[in-house]
Amino acid sequence: MLLMAGKVLVVRVMRSNLQAKPDFLSSSLAAIEKGAKLELIETQGNWFLVRTAGGLKGYIHQTAVAESKTSLSGIMPGKKGASEDELALAAKGFNEGNEKKLRGSKGFNFADVDWVIDWNISNPALAAFLREGKLK
Amino acid sequence: MKKLILICLCFSLLAWKLPINLSKLSKAKKGLELVSGASHQISEEEEYYIGRAVAANILSQYPLWKNNDLTRYLNLIGKALVLKSERPEIFGGYHFGLLDSNEANAFSAPGGIIFLTRGIVIMAENEDELAAILAHEIQHVAAKDPLKAIKSQRMKALGTFAAGEAIGSSNQVFSIFQDSVLDITGTLLQKGYSRGQEKNADLQALDLLLATGYEPRALLSMLQKVKAVEKKKVKAFSAHPSAAKRIAYVEDNLKPAVNKDGNGARMARFKLIVSRHKN
Repeated sequence: MLLMAGKVLVVRVMRSNLQAKPDFLSSSLAAIEKGAKLELIETQGNWFLVRTAGGLKGYIHQTAVAESKTSLSGIMPGKKGASEDELALAAKGFNEGNEKKLRGSKGFNFADVDWVIDWNISNPALAAFLREGKLK
Repeated sequence: MKKLILICLCFSLLAWKLPINLSKLSKAKKGLELVSGASHQISEEEEYYIGRAVAANILSQYPLWKNNDLTRYLNLIGKALVLKSERPEIFGGYHFGLLDSNEANAFSAPGGIIFLTRGIVIMAENEDELAAILAHEIQHVAAKDPLKAIKSQRMKALGTFAAGEAIGSSNQVFSIFQDSVLDITGTLLQKGYSRGQEKNADLQALDLLLATGYEPRALLSMLQKVKAVEKKKVKAFSAHPSAAKRIAYVEDNLKPAVNKDGNGARMARFKLIVSRHKN
């Protein structure tokens, strides 16, 4: 993704982290959630150095964000951004509502899906695992 | 026990059947003939929700093996690989689970929910071989191969709804959702991906293993185990091309590795966590 500084990015994953360095295993500065707007400062490889609406600077991987149609003012609290239209459009496709209709149907075991998804590996645990196994 | 595990591979697939309402499918098909317009492009959020439904369907066919130590180990290996993959950040993140089945198999649902069976875990002889199977499945997710199993006519119909003419047709969207789940689960469990998709996943897995510090040759040794099982006329990776064909191109594309420094530590933790389940 080749973007110019000053562009507004929108977080497209459920949650991510603003990292201190362009490295998933660097310290996390803040949790970032879907829909959050970030101002692009510069690109470093597959990472973007960004600024949050609260003024916090850090790195986010380019696969976690998309270019937003919102103007820079759209990231300020209280202002309406074009991304609301984008979100409304997405809501017409496959979404949580479809899953709700399936829940309880024979042939779908969502309880065990949640058991799998609830597994979380912390960054320190992953870093230790890589270090111990001499992985990169 | 090991022999029993190898013998009991994948016959349950023959009895597999999705609980689908045929009259609904017929109505949906009639509807699809009437629509035209741009195909709907599935967003990562939609990929996540359809992936959850596919995973839920797989978990109605195969019981989940709720082994905390093994599940954590599998997630550590998988997430180590994901860091070096081309799609490290996806909507809901990657998640790895175990199926309590002696069949030797692995499945990747859209959106990053990846399952390995007990049979394939027990077949692996070291951590690098487990990583090889996971790397192959991660590459299917990265390439969005599961989504490509959805019939194009469904995405054309959804494209028309998303354009705004049929906002009130949530039941039709739900029908397309169900049918798309059927398309994907049918491909994962029965029909299989195309040979091109499988070859791409294997070759990309070699690169991913190398980038992570695992031995790429582990994919070859895993395929040789599958080939040995196939010779006994027992199905393994039934929805995949034959292991013999995969071995040929994997051998041709092996790159010299490697990082042997961690072999001892990786083997020690593999033995601690996995080997006790082998008998």
